[in-house]
Amino acid sequence: MIKKLTLGLMFFATSSLFAEPAITAIKVSNSIDLSKTKPNDAIWSRAKSSTIICYPQTTIKFNDKKANELNAQNKAKAANISAIYNANSLAFKITWNDGTQNIQLPQKSDTYGDGVAVQFAQKFDDPKKLPYIGMGSKDREVLIYLQKAVEKYFEPNKDIEHQVSRDNTNAFGNDLKKYDAAVKALAINEYHKVFVGEGFRSMTQVRSDYGKLGMDMSYKGGKWSAVFTKPMSDEYVDISKVGAIPASFALWDGDKLGRDGLKYLSSWVAVKFQGKKGGDALVDELTSEPTGDVQAGEAQVKAMCASCHRFADQNAAPAAMGPALYNIGGYSTSAYLAESIKEPNAVVVPGYNRNAHKNFSWYSVDDNGTRTTTMPPMMSDDKSIADAVAYLKTLKAEVEK
Amino acid sequence: MSKRQLAMVMDLNKCIGCQTCTVACKTQWTNRNGREYMYWNNVETYPGTGYPKKWMDLGGGFDAAGDLQEGIIPNIEADYGVPWDYSYDSLATFDYTAGNEKAGLRPTSEPTWGPNWDEDEGTGNFPSDNYFFYIPRICNHCTNPGCLSACPRDAIFKRDQDGVVLVDLDRCQGYRYCIAGCPYKKIYFNPKISKSEKCILCFPRIEQGLPPACAQQCVGRIRFVGFLDDEESQVHKLVHKYKVALPLRSDYGTQPNVYYVPPTEAPAKFDAEGKVIEGSQRVPTEELEALFGKDVHTAIKILKDEKEKRAKTGESELMDLLIAYHHSDMFRLDNNYYQEFAKESGKSLLAPIDERYSSGKNTKEITHFKVHA
Ligand code: SF4
Ligand code: SF4
Repeated sequence: MIKKLTLGLMFFATSSLFAEPAITAIKVSNSIDLSKTKPNDAIWSRAKSSTIICYPQTTIKFNDKKANELNAQNKAKAANISAIYNANSLAFKITWNDGTQNIQLPQKSDTYGDGVAVQFAQKFDDPKKLPYIGMGSKDREVLIYLQKAVEKYFEPNKDIEHQVSRDNTNAFGNDLKKYDAAVKALAINEYHKVFVGEGFRSMTQVRSDYGKLGMDMSYKGGKWSAVFTKPMSDEYVDISKVGAIPASFALWDGDKLGRDGLKYLSSWVAVKFQGKKGGDALVDELTSEPTGDVQAGEAQVKAMCASCHRFADQNAAPAAMGPALYNIGGYSTSAYLAESIKEPNAVVVPGYNRNAHKNFSWYSVDDNGTRTTTMPPMMSDDKSIADAVAYLKTLKAEVEK
Repeated sequence: MSKRQLAMVMDLNKCIGCQTCTVACKTQWTNRNGREYMYWNNVETYPGTGYPKKWMDLGGGFDAAGDLQEGIIPNIEADYGVPWDYSYDSLATFDYTAGNEKAGLRPTSEPTWGPNWDEDEGTGNFPSDNYFFYIPRICNHCTNPGCLSACPRDAIFKRDQDGVVLVDLDRCQGYRYCIAGCPYKKIYFNPKISKSEKCILCFPRIEQGLPPACAQQCVGRIRFVGFLDDEESQVHKLVHKYKVALPLRSDYGTQPNVYYVPPTEAPAKFDAEGKVIEGSQRVPTEELEALFGKDVHTAIKILKDEKEKRAKTGESELMDLLIAYHHSDMFRLDNNYYQEFAKESGKSLLAPIDERYSSGKNTKEITHFKVHA
């Protein structure tokens, strides 16, 4: 069985299936206000869609027993993504299959909405040093647009009068109708949020009106379609002067109690602006195939990494010792993998709350909050690193049919 | 661990299950806006189903090695119970001439379960060996909180000045891992605002030198509040000096800071003829050991010895403490401590905001949730 699997992997390694696709953003007229675009607008027929694979996040495991059971056998999900842009904005349309439409309900404690997100890198001039895929990393910040299927919800507010349950008012008849209308007016209709992050747990919501516009999602015939629109230039990320940008995508399945890190995520994907120059290095970096020898890499990685990391059939490492690598090949770039092997301190993933697994700290923190990883540099010669990366890139779940 | 730790001691011999504490808390904090089903303070009958249903079996907390355990997030209808109401509207619009089968006054949701559904049932055969006692429960403001450790957003923090565990509602995104992580299920999901909420130990009262509402209003005067490191405080005396107050289910590893004086004062059992069986133990000590750990045996002995000493000599500091003569002795909050702390740290009181992220480091503009206009 194992032999067959390895052969299969070798076959893939030599085929072009490893090459990651890019997304081409099609130029549209500046007179169109893209922030008002809906998923079913005719304009999307002009865009070209690419299939991007989102892999189950398995780097860290959460503590919701039911959710863990439901997500134990997750396969990867394919999303069809297209993009359009003009001088003012860039818009993505993301479509994916989801057999169940899940909406978070305002009277239940255990319902979760389906959701989708786009992540932008704040800096991407060096395509080999993109932010960590899981919500950025120190000094490599990301901007995240997130929308979820929720029924109306309420931000905490000071309007005490309308916080009382309708049955606890003394109103009835028309007065009760008025009360209901006032409550409805106070509610927020959509879960459309923008966050800035520099690693797990650090995500902080941008609370200005920024990003409130330009998100929408709709469900039809077993498929979700969502739209995100980002201004070409804003105080967080300026994408107006480049030919290509990195973006990554995430999906949540409410049916499997998905929320937060319990999601499917893509690697950084190159988005080319049709008709704009530049960004070739970025596109090359994100679309190229690993060149190393998978088999040699596998032998090395299994020998050197399995005592701290879990991956493939290697489950000997204590559960919380280091990031689990089961799907690392799906959502990491080759450059990130190489960097982490050579220079583990370049990106120290914040991982679990340090209180949750005290005996297995995968990093230490000094008084200034600087994290130092427990992992020593593993390899230094380029050949070994390239081989290891080639193997690590094969670590990913198969795609759901 | 925080610099200082506030603690509460509850004397279970004196709790009469009147729920005054529950109501004091509910009317102050949880009677509106998605909190209707929550009881930050509840008083449950033990043995019994508890609130939420079978909370002791829902996981969370830490194993012996210190690893956070998986847990289950309870369901509002099935596990907590939906607070049903009778709607004026249905009464007002009811057509009395139409020969309707059911009268106009109807519950808004069919009552199938609620907290204290099994109140006062207990176990055993009446009158020979039946028993039950009450356990009032609030958040334990744990030294090693399971809720905080489970939060993937750093939205829960433990205040340095008094160890109170709070949710920063601005950071909370309603992911609910905290609920799975708390072995006491004392952090709740507010579905209307999609955020987690919990007992705040009445910190706005505490900062003014007042005890939490549940303790202030307690009819049985069973609750003591103070700083554990304050040797003059009665909580210190009960927990550290006399060692008669013990944490509930400390085996969950969260190091809770609510302590209980175990119930020792049950009547003896009766035999078939209805005669007292001398020296018999109506509340089984094994049950108490399961709840309060091995130390319960010494605690029981100390309580009995001191009771006897008091009966013989008329003197016992411990018995005087437990009689709870004056609120002023039971609650030692030291108003000035908070004022001084605020001055020294430059922090404002009444600001339940986690300062780790409030400096605007990651976002250009941080405004905390505004009144939604
Ligand atoms: S009792 Fe639960 S909610 Fe309260 S601090 Fe402990 S773990 Fe957190
Ligand atoms: S108010 Fe006091 S006596 Fe009454 S139920 Fe609460 S803790 Fe027990």
